[in-house]
Amino acid sequence: MKRVLRLFALTMIVVLALGLMAPAFAQDAIEPLTPNMTVTDGLVAYAADSCDYGGVIQSITATAANQVVFQLCEPDGAFPQKVAFSSLGIQPYEHLQATGGGGEALFRNPVGTGPYALSAWNLGSDVVLTRNDAYWGELANEPTAIFRWTSESAARLNELMAGTVDVIDNVGAGDFETVSANPALQLLPRPALNVFYVGMNNTIAPFDNLNVRQAIAHAIDKNRLVEQFYPPASTTANQFMPPDIFGWTEGFEDTPYDPEAARQLLADSGLELPLEVTINYRDVVRGYLPQPGVVAQDIQAQLADVGINVTIEVMESAAFLDAASAGQLGLFMLGWGADYPDATNFLDAHFGQGANDSFGTKYPEIIDLLNQGSTTSDPQTRLDVYAQVNALIRDNAIMIPVAHGGSALAYKAGITGAHASPLSNESLAVMADPDDDNIILMQNGEPGGIYCADETDGEALRVCEQIMDTLLAYEVGGTAVVPSLAESFSSSEDGLTWTFDLRDATFHDGSAFDANDVVMAYAVQWDAANPLHVGRSGAFDYWTILFKAFLNTPAS
Amino acid sequence: MTSQTAKIELDKQTEVRLGGSLWRQAFRHFIRNRSAIAGMILIGFVVFMAGAAPLIAPYDPNLSMIGLPGHEGRLAGQAPCIHALGCPPEMAQHLMGLDLNGRDMFSRVVFGSRVSLVVGFASVFLSIIVGSLLGLVSGYSSFWTDNVIMRSMDVLLAFPSLILAIAIVTVLGPGLQNALIAIAIVNIPVYARLARAQVLSLREMDYVLAAQSLGDGNNRILFMHIMPNALTPLIVQGTLGIAGAVLEAAALSFIGLGAQPPTPEWGAILSEGRNYIFTSPHLVFFPGIAIMITVLGFNLVGDGLRDSLDPRLNKT
Repeated sequence: MKRVLRLFALTMIVVLALGLMAPAFAQDAIEPLTPNMTVTDGLVAYAADSCDYGGVIQSITATAANQVVFQLCEPDGAFPQKVAFSSLGIQPYEHLQATGGGGEALFRNPVGTGPYALSAWNLGSDVVLTRNDAYWGELANEPTAIFRWTSESAARLNELMAGTVDVIDNVGAGDFETVSANPALQLLPRPALNVFYVGMNNTIAPFDNLNVRQAIAHAIDKNRLVEQFYPPASTTANQFMPPDIFGWTEGFEDTPYDPEAARQLLADSGLELPLEVTINYRDVVRGYLPQPGVVAQDIQAQLADVGINVTIEVMESAAFLDAASAGQLGLFMLGWGADYPDATNFLDAHFGQGANDSFGTKYPEIIDLLNQGSTTSDPQTRLDVYAQVNALIRDNAIMIPVAHGGSALAYKAGITGAHASPLSNESLAVMADPDDDNIILMQNGEPGGIYCADETDGEALRVCEQIMDTLLAYEVGGTAVVPSLAESFSSSEDGLTWTFDLRDATFHDGSAFDANDVVMAYAVQWDAANPLHVGRSGAFDYWTILFKAFLNTPAS
Repeated sequence: MTSQTAKIELDKQTEVRLGGSLWRQAFRHFIRNRSAIAGMILIGFVVFMAGAAPLIAPYDPNLSMIGLPGHEGRLAGQAPCIHALGCPPEMAQHLMGLDLNGRDMFSRVVFGSRVSLVVGFASVFLSIIVGSLLGLVSGYSSFWTDNVIMRSMDVLLAFPSLILAIAIVTVLGPGLQNALIAIAIVNIPVYARLARAQVLSLREMDYVLAAQSLGDGNNRILFMHIMPNALTPLIVQGTLGIAGAVLEAAALSFIGLGAQPPTPEWGAILSEGRNYIFTSPHLVFFPGIAIMITVLGFNLVGDGLRDSLDPRLNKT
C-alpha cells in the first residue's frame, strides 16, 4: 500500500512540476525573429538600437500579459490619436506568423477582436461580416453586416431607393436635395475634415520653376470651384488643414485669385508660352472631390485663360496613387481625409520627413518646423509652428489647397444608429435595420485588402474598423479618443513613455488576446527587416506617416 | 414586224420603263422606301447640324457661362431655359440647359455631331479600304495567302468588337484619333470577309474568264473587273457600319477612352451627366437622343440600300 501511495505521490509531483513548467515551454514557442526582438519570460520586447534611425518609436515592450509600454524617441502629443488609427489594428501574432505576414491568406483573411468577423469576401461583389458573439464590448445590433460597392453615385442612390442597400456613402453632389426631399431616406452630412489640392512636383518641368507654380496658384479660382461644383457644407481651403483640425491657422492669408498676376509670373518665368502641361487624376469620387472630371475641366479652362494649355489624363486609381507617391506626376489632383484629428495627420503626412515624393524635393526648413511641432506639447507653440509651415507651403507654392469637401451618407429612414463620422469610419455595429437581420452599406469601391497596416484607401480602412480593434479608438461618429483594447493608458511627464493596460479579449479564431500580440502587430510594420514585414504591397505607408521611419530600412 | 423584232421592241420599252441600269433601278426603289427616306432625312439633319454648327450653336461649346451676364448662382447642370416657355427674360436662354461645367448643352450637342460623323465616316472608310483590299487579295490568291489572311480575320472576329476596341485604345492611348483607329481595326474583318465572298463568286464569272483569256494580269482583273462589281454589298455594309461606328465611338468616349475633355462628343457628354440622372436628366437625355437619331438614320438608310441593291429583294 505504501508503495502505491509513494508511486501516487511521485506521479503527482511530476504532474505538478510539468504543470509549473508549462508556461516556460509555452514561452519557448515565441522565437526572436530579429536581433531587435527579445523574449523574456514569454513576454516580447522590440527595441531599436538607438533613435538614430529617425523614427518616433524606440521600443515596444510587453511588460505583462496585459500591459504594453511604448518608449518614444521624442515626445508625441498626438500619440493616443495615432494608436487609435485603424492601420494599427491588432491581429494574433500566430496568425501573422502562419500567413508569413502577407499574401492573400492575410489580407483577405483578417482575424481581429472587433464586433464583426469576416465571413466571406466575394471578390467583385461584397464583403460579408458576421457578428462576433464573444466581443468584449456591446454586441453588434445586426447579426450580419455587408459591404457592397459601386463607383457610380447614381447607381448607389438607385440601390438605396430600391431598398437593396441600407446605407450609401458619398451621396452625389447633385443628389443632396433628392435625398433630403425623400421621406423614405435620411441624409446625414459629414463634416468636411478633408482637403482637395492641386499638387505639383518641383522636380518635373515646368513645375520646377517657382514662377509657374505660383502662377497656377494665382490662376485657380477656388471660390468658383467650391460654389459651382461642391455640395453644401463645403468650404474653400486657404491652407492645407481644415478648420476643425488642431493646428489650423486663424486669419491665414492665402494666395489670392489673380489671373493678371498669374500671366505676369508666367511671362517672368522665362518659359515659352503657352505652356503645355498634363494634369492627372483618378476618376474616383471622394468627399474632398465629389466631381473629379468636372473640376478637372474647370481647372483646365481656368489655366487656359492665363496661358497654360492643360491636357487631362485620367488614370486608374491604384496606378495614379502609386505614380503620385513615387513623384512621377507633374500636376495632379488629389486629396486627403483626416485619419485622426491632428495637424500631424495632414502636414507631417505630406510635407514631413516620412512623406512620399509626390511634391518632389522636400523642404528641410518645413521638416524641422514639423518635427518641432510634433514634439512640442504646448498648444500655442504648436499653432505658431504650423502657421510658419503654412506660410512656407504657400510661398513655395508646393501645392494648392482648394476645398474642404462636404459629403454625406444617406440611410433608409428606418435605420437606427445612423451616423456620419467625420473620420469616415462609420460603425456598422451600432446600426439596426428593423426590416431584416442585416445592415448593408454601399461604398465607392472594393477594398484592395483587409490587412490595413498596408492599406491607405478609406474603402479598406472602413471594413478593417469593423473587424479589428486598435489599442484606443475614436468615439462613434466623433473624433474623441476612447479606450478600446487598452482599458486605460498613461504617459510619463516627459511624454516619452506610454503605458497601456489591456483588457481581456478573444480573437475571432478563439485565441486569447495579450500584450505580445500588440507588440508584434506593431513590430511587423515597424521593422523592415522583420521577416513578417510583407503586407500586400509592402509599402506600409501609414507607418511612416504616423511614426516617421521604419526600423532597419534597407540602404537602397 | 416579225415576232423577233416585236420582242426586241418590248425589251426596249421594259428597259426604258425600269430605268435602264441597276443603279437607277435601285435609286427608284430606294426613294419609294419610306423608312429609307426617313433615314435620309435624319442623316441630312445631322449632317446639316454638323456642317452649320458654328452658325447654329449660340455659344462656343467649351465656353463656361460661369460669371457671364445673365448667369447667376450655381450653374452646374442647370435645366433648360427657354423664354418662349416662360423662362424669365433676365436669364440667358439655353435650349438644352447647361452641363456640369456651366457650358451650353445645345452648343455641345450641335458640335458633337461633327465629332460623331467624322469618327463614323472615317473609321468605316478606313475599314472598307483595308478590309476590301485584304478580302480581294484573299479571295483571289493562293490557298496559303487566303488562309493566313482569313484566319487572322477570324482571330479578330473572335473578340467582342468593343472589348477589342478597348484593348487597342488601351495600347495606343486614349484619344479620339486612336479611338477612330481602333474602331476601324475591329471592323476590318467584316469587310474583308464580305469582299472575299464577292471575289469567290465573281472570279468564276464569264467576263473574268474572258479577261483572263485576253491576257489581263491579276491586278487588272482584280481591281478593274472584280472590285467594281463587289462594291455594292460593301457600300450597304458600310452604311450600316457607320451606325455601329458612331455607337462604338460614343461607348469608348463614355468610358473615357475616346474624345478627351473638353471635346464635345456625345458619349463623353452622356458619361459626364450619368450620375445626375435624378436631378438633371437633360444632361443624358439630349446627347442620348442625338446618338439615337444618328444611329437610327444610318440603320434605316442601310436597310433601304440593302433592299434596293439586292436584286432578290427589290422585285416590286
